Amino acid sequence: MAALVLPATLLVLGLLVAPMAILFRISLDRYSPTELVQEALTGENYLRAIADPYYREVLGTTLGIALLCTLLALLIAFPAAWWLARLEGRRRSLAVILTLFPLLVGNVVRAAGWMALLGRDGAINAALRGLGLIREPLGLLYTPGAVVAGIVAVVAPYMILTLATVIEAIPRNLEEAAANLGASPAAAFRRVVLPMALPGIAAGCVLVFILCMNAYATPVLLGGPQFKMMAPAVFDQFVRGTNWPFGAALAFILLLVTLALTLAGSAALSRRTAPR
Amino acid sequence: MLTRRTALGAGLALPALRIARAQSAQVVVGTWGGDYGDLLSANIDKPLLAPRGVEVVQDVGPQDPRKTKLIAERQSRRGSMDVCCLSDVDMFTLAQQGVFEPIDPARVPNLGKAIPSLKRPYSVPHIYSAKVILYNPAKVTAPPQGYADLWDPKYRGRVGLVDILHLQNMEAASIAAGGDEHNYEPGKKKLMELRSLDAKVYPSNEALAAALKSEEIWLTIMWLARGFMWKKSGIPVEAAVPSEGATSICFEMAVPKNARNRDGALAYLNAALDARAQTAFADRMGYAPTVTDAQLPPELARQISLTPEQQAKLRTPDYEYIAKNQSALIDFWNKEFKR
Repeated sequence: MAALVLPATLLVLGLLVAPMAILFRISLDRYSPTELVQEALTGENYLRAIADPYYREVLGTTLGIALLCTLLALLIAFPAAWWLARLEGRRRSLAVILTLFPLLVGNVVRAAGWMALLGRDGAINAALRGLGLIREPLGLLYTPGAVVAGIVAVVAPYMILTLATVIEAIPRNLEEAAANLGASPAAAFRRVVLPMALPGIAAGCVLVFILCMNAYATPVLLGGPQFKMMAPAVFDQFVRGTNWPFGAALAFILLLVTLALTLAGSAALSRRTAPR
Repeated sequence: MLTRRTALGAGLALPALRIARAQSAQVVVGTWGGDYGDLLSANIDKPLLAPRGVEVVQDVGPQDPRKTKLIAERQSRRGSMDVCCLSDVDMFTLAQQGVFEPIDPARVPNLGKAIPSLKRPYSVPHIYSAKVILYNPAKVTAPPQGYADLWDPKYRGRVGLVDILHLQNMEAASIAAGGDEHNYEPGKKKLMELRSLDAKVYPSNEALAAALKSEEIWLTIMWLARGFMWKKSGIPVEAAVPSEGATSICFEMAVPKNARNRDGALAYLNAALDARAQTAFADRMGYAPTVTDAQLPPELARQISLTPEQQAKLRTPDYEYIAKNQSALIDFWNKEFKR
């Protein structure tokens, strides 16, 4: 039976663990303009990244955007997931397909759609101008707001489907029993549905938070050149600065921060859901 | 001996395996797609090399991944490209890493007709243009004379720069500050002044073109070739060659040391310098031929090339300076100017 996991294990070892190990090793090397990567064993790339207020700000922006997008995705997805979970038969299948539909289009293409919507000559500005509400076009594109909207749209389907699976498992008659015992729909939701959905909320938030932390195409295309999140900053170091050691260090800092927050978040939530 | 470097190179070179070499006459060319790739195919691959039994396969992609691929593959015995197309600055940076085979002029006879100032020991020049000021003639009534005119307070908020040309913008700022292409330090202060004049930065050439078209901005720094193409497509721009001297941009081709088909690659470089192949890029992309025997229609030549006086003042980027400082320069651009 153990042999069944062998292909997957080899794949992960070869295509994930090995490159990550190499990348980690590079993060301990030194950058040199002539050799690019100079073999060394130093932590200075990490120290430089942590000491530099610019990268602290980039990391802060990344965290802020990721947390905000996760929260917004949760707020948007919960009602949709609840509705989806209560559907039956063909209507349900159709709703699942519709939820998945945006995932069939790549992030870049979706961002291009947002650009057409938010640009100075985009659909929103054209409509507002047509209605006579504004004279000068609004600067909607290349703003943090555009990035948040773009990322939330990307991650919402993941959140909806994760939540729907959990909500589905909450027997409907529990809500009916709560109503029968005099609970208002709001109270039934707060005291019955929500606590039972917490594991799903935790899973959905972790998944979405990780996706948000690593967002690349959306911040680049919708945030504009002045807006920096970690993944584009890593790309800049590797490709435009040809500084692989520093880029690798930034990549590992992003990974560690994401991992630490994910673990802390899940631990906090699982404590709340543990039977008391 | 398997060092971690060779292991890294080999690991990253794996995608190369997907290119099955059925015959040794195949040449893999790492190039941009779009017009450039199409023109290579229509003017070099098909008419010049196919009759000689050389089959050209294009490995199409943006420049940055191609550059990164070359760095990753530099230790591997067999590379994934036979010919690599890059812009002059990146070509120099990689040549410094010893990635490319030195060009033997005897094996590339057409190199004899190339413009001498564009020749490099590690590559052949394919097409070139010059960095100029593009302006909207309806809004900027007096054509700008030099880069310094972009700092005129009356153009506050109307100057746009493209992010990807961060080095070129910094060089222009240094020249505007009275410096030159050998040291960008004076440009840093000058750029911060432009920043306080509300200069805008756009993420791509397409975004910059859209901003010029909507007249959100009136002035930018761009290649003459691209200005010509934009004008052709109805964007309201004229080009002004800076009096301080324009800086050249050359797109080059080189053969990586680990190319699998070196003979085919050299034949390709030679064909790329063929006068017949060169003229097509002028009309469709606005880039000037790098060989002296390519004849352009006079009207086209007037629009995409420099006058002899402007040519005499043409600056070549200081590749060595850029290679040495590019990591620090991108840091300044990101951390100070764009912040």
